[in-house]
Amino acid sequence: MSISLDDVAKSYGRSDGKFALNGVTAEIPSGSLTAILGPSGSGKSTLLKVIAGLEQPDRGRVCIEGDDVTDLDARFRGIGFCFQQYAPFRHLTVEKNIAYGLKVRRRPRAEISKKVAEMLELVQLGDFAKRYPAQLSGGQRQRMALARALAIEPRVLLLDEPFGALDAQVRAELRTWVKNLHDQVPITTIMVTHDQSEAMEVASQLVVLRDGRIEQTGAPGELYDHPATPFVHEFLGPTTTVGGEVVRPHDLVLRRQPGPGHQGKVTGVVALGFEVRVEVALDDGSSCWVQLTAHEFAELTVTVGDAVAVSPR
Amino acid sequence: MGTSGATLLAGYLAAVVCIPIAAIFGHGFGLSFDTHGAGLELWRWSLHSDFAGFTSGLSVPGAWSAIRLSIVVSGIVAAINSVMGVAIAWVLTHDHFRGKALISSMIDLPFALPTIVAGVTFIYLYGADSPVKLDLTGKVLGLGVALTFVTLPFCVRAVQPVLEAMDLDAQDAARTLGASKLRTFWSIVVPSILPAVASAYALAFARALGEYGSISLIALVGTASTTTASIFLFTQSTNFAFDGFTSAAAVAIVLLGVCFVVFSVAGTVGWWINKRLRP
Repeated sequence: MSISLDDVAKSYGRSDGKFALNGVTAEIPSGSLTAILGPSGSGKSTLLKVIAGLEQPDRGRVCIEGDDVTDLDARFRGIGFCFQQYAPFRHLTVEKNIAYGLKVRRRPRAEISKKVAEMLELVQLGDFAKRYPAQLSGGQRQRMALARALAIEPRVLLLDEPFGALDAQVRAELRTWVKNLHDQVPITTIMVTHDQSEAMEVASQLVVLRDGRIEQTGAPGELYDHPATPFVHEFLGPTTTVGGEVVRPHDLVLRRQPGPGHQGKVTGVVALGFEVRVEVALDDGSSCWVQLTAHEFAELTVTVGDAVAVSPR
Repeated sequence: MGTSGATLLAGYLAAVVCIPIAAIFGHGFGLSFDTHGAGLELWRWSLHSDFAGFTSGLSVPGAWSAIRLSIVVSGIVAAINSVMGVAIAWVLTHDHFRGKALISSMIDLPFALPTIVAGVTFIYLYGADSPVKLDLTGKVLGLGVALTFVTLPFCVRAVQPVLEAMDLDAQDAARTLGASKLRTFWSIVVPSILPAVASAYALAFARALGEYGSISLIALVGTASTTTASIFLFTQSTNFAFDGFTSAAAVAIVLLGVCFVVFSVAGTVGWWINKRLRP
């Protein structure tokens, strides 16, 4: 189901007149996995809550598949929402958590247990059906929350910082898992994140948010290669400035002098395993850094103090 | 610290709590030591009890009816305030309005007020010369009004921190799953505050059971229908004509027993729920 946002604004009645959302207009295509990306305080969680109906916008409209749902209560929107801290029902077992939305809908008991079993299998929590949320790990709680949201067969799935509270390894696993899940169950999904690599890896479309406004929308590669604003450029990946121009440090070529481009001296070398960062003080007084692979660096063998030339690739 | 701290604590508890309670049991059950003239040779001591004294103490006219009245009125008052306590605590944690701080501090007023001051207030407001033309002297309703006043803060303050610490996202999650506000409250909020409500009930019940000051005037001493256990205790223990103190001690032991049961039930409810929430 496609989602369209038309000039959505929300201020939380702040005295400084600042908006959490300041006129957001966007189209989320049906069946896509879209990431809303932005620094903290950019309004991305608020946007998600407005779509879910948990926050009421001051102005603007929210439509799901062409239906205006702006004034529809959250409980009638048919949206699956996964909260940052998973919001488990702590007094209910895993299976009862998953069954909650179906019980509310007064589905027949046989249908509920069939659906719960199906969901438990989907999120690989079959062995944990009778456990309480407090007895699960972070990743398991996250998957339970997903199953609970998916059990009601939502039109749209919203994920608020889905990997934010997990440690690095579980995080990487779950990313891949969520991407695969979306391929299996292709519901329109929006996830909010402040982590650009996470967004680029998982999502098919990015919406970059800054101070309650959309900076740029598009496919990850498109945004990375053709950022519309310096903010998007810097937010999506590392940048450095050479001759007044903002470029990606891996888009620079480093040579020993004599060579084309900007002349300078190596001031530092940082080896990070597969990548090596070479810091260069340019003759014009500015400084930049160049990202090399370990192989490139091995061939070049520059050290601090060497005279070098930097040019765009 | 360590063991010396534990020793100090145990000694203090013994002096402040255990010895007085042991004393009332000793008196109620007519316990006495016989040293058989052997001085400090403890093995020669023997313990005598007089359960007949305990039962006869309870058979003093009015003893059982006073106990029954106290249990019933305290039970009802604690129930009303457990519900109202949740409602008030809910509003204080979820709503923002002018004068909230004032209302919040008003809830603590019955804590701070000497209970006899409350007693005087109630006899003025609901006495024979009531300015609101409502004479509750010698009426059970009068007891109820006074006890409701005294026990309210226990109920609000026992539940409020739990509501404040509660996961609001869980309630939002229930709503996105299709639950109405009422259903969210019953199925998500109530189970998580139940231990706190049970302990609020027990605290309010125990307080109401022993309350004397605030009801001492409105109950009109001598009126059988409003003689609570606490009033009965007071009249008995100041009655030196016959051995009233033994009967006072016997009633006191029954009250202690009732409180013990109520706290045990409340504690069990809390333990049973909490063990699942935080194993």
